[in-house]
Amino acid sequence: MAAEHPLVLPGDTIDPSLIPTHKKQPLRLGPGLRHNPPSTILPTVAGQLVTDLRKNSMWVEYNGGRYIPSQGDLVIGQVARSATDLYFVNITPYTANASLPHLSFEGATKKTRPQLLPGALVYARVTLANRHMDPELECVSATTGRAEGLGPLTGGMAFDVSLGLARRLLMARSREEGGIEVLEQLGAEGLAFETAVGRNGRVWVSSDSLKTVVLVGRALTETDEKGLGVEQQRKLVKKLIREMR
Amino acid sequence: MPREAEPSLNERQFILQALQENLRLDGREFDQYRPLELTFGDQYGVADVTLGKTRVLAKASAEVTVPYVDRPLDGIFNIATELSPMASPAFEVGRPTETEVLLSRLLEKTVRRSGALDTESLCLVAGQKVWSVRVDVHVLSHDGNLIDAACLAVVAALRHFRKPDTSMESGILTVYTPAEREPVALSWLHSPFCVTWSYFGDEGEIALLDATWREEQVRVGSCTISLNRHGEICQIAKLGGTPVEAVTLLQCTNTALTKVKEFSSFLDKKLAEDIKRRDKGGLMAELSAENDR
Repeated sequence: MAAEHPLVLPGDTIDPSLIPTHKKQPLRLGPGLRHNPPSTILPTVAGQLVTDLRKNSMWVEYNGGRYIPSQGDLVIGQVARSATDLYFVNITPYTANASLPHLSFEGATKKTRPQLLPGALVYARVTLANRHMDPELECVSATTGRAEGLGPLTGGMAFDVSLGLARRLLMARSREEGGIEVLEQLGAEGLAFETAVGRNGRVWVSSDSLKTVVLVGRALTETDEKGLGVEQQRKLVKKLIREMR
Repeated sequence: MPREAEPSLNERQFILQALQENLRLDGREFDQYRPLELTFGDQYGVADVTLGKTRVLAKASAEVTVPYVDRPLDGIFNIATELSPMASPAFEVGRPTETEVLLSRLLEKTVRRSGALDTESLCLVAGQKVWSVRVDVHVLSHDGNLIDAACLAVVAALRHFRKPDTSMESGILTVYTPAEREPVALSWLHSPFCVTWSYFGDEGEIALLDATWREEQVRVGSCTISLNRHGEICQIAKLGGTPVEAVTLLQCTNTALTKVKEFSSFLDKKLAEDIKRRDKGGLMAELSAENDR
């Protein structure tokens, strides 16, 4: 794994042989890389350099401490307060709040809109994020007008995880690419629960049984802190289930 | 003041419901402490306490100075606490938060006012020269229960510390460097420890030991009991919060005594290990200039 994805530090020069070439598509740079015209590509964060030859793109996988919002991310935010036609929602602690319009929920009109108290959790998508402005969120898909899983989260418990784990949980094929199988394994052991993963490092877990939620939370935080691989996750899941029974 | 990260409504409700079903988020018992680790530095007087993810470093140091005018026969003993932004973004340098003020007051009452350190033994020349012992407490990581961890670190640092040896001959005070004479331990009378209980529920009926940061945000009251292993109570501080039944408080005090005895034997064991580690070849007995009384 290390040979395919070399470790880069900010400002390192990248070996030209690692840069993918394609006959038709231009090279696309993902997060963590910066283009200095005419032909220098510089990493801006420390992490592993990953290239995708099919799409002709490259980016840096890194595990930072602080979430920086980017457009299209799904995040779990906490409502801080309500203004005239906006909610102020906090997605990264100790930073400025993001704004979420009152009407940006499924089927919301001026008369029928969800009433969110301060401290409520919402699952939202980032619509606007750049360095100079406060981020903006939406709880409904702008194209279809349907929620598609977004909106207020009731009950359950929110756990904090590292950004790297959140990203791997959100990958389409989390086992092959991210090495995370713990949620599937917990489900295979017969536990019934639902989760929502926010890219900002928060995971919401809900179930009818409180023990299940505590178990899922412990499994996630231990996988995160100790950096467990798929086999070790299996052992952890078995150990936790045994302790519960 | 940076915005304090408040827990969400979901978290609050969940923690309370789970406690009512006897469940704690990390699977501990209600009166179980997180894994406790204590390491000493290479220098005398440096103690690093890790209680789960909370980490506190205490450093003891001493220098010769003039005593206070109204107490010419006593040495000076100060405890300085510092909550830096390294521990949590909610703390700012130079502006004490409520947590910091409470922490330094509790440490003061527990260690200083209870007479754990014999200040009269710090006197060198009456009215002119005394030792001024100072313990600096740095909180490196804050995940709840700073008080217990900080108290353990202070007591460990002071018991580990060695002050330079001195001698008084015909009016001339000589302070020896560690190279000339082996430094001597402080005159320590008893080891107080703090045990903090957190209360949850409408009437404070659920009591937990060693709350994590999240549990601390959700609690309705807390009580810190400081005592030593002989059962002598230094102070009990319940600063506001939901009223708690007197019987519950008595039970808490009894459990606190058990925990303090565990802390005490843990600290003794660690100190003994450290002495053994430094005493290679059994030379300590020969190097020390202390006389048996």
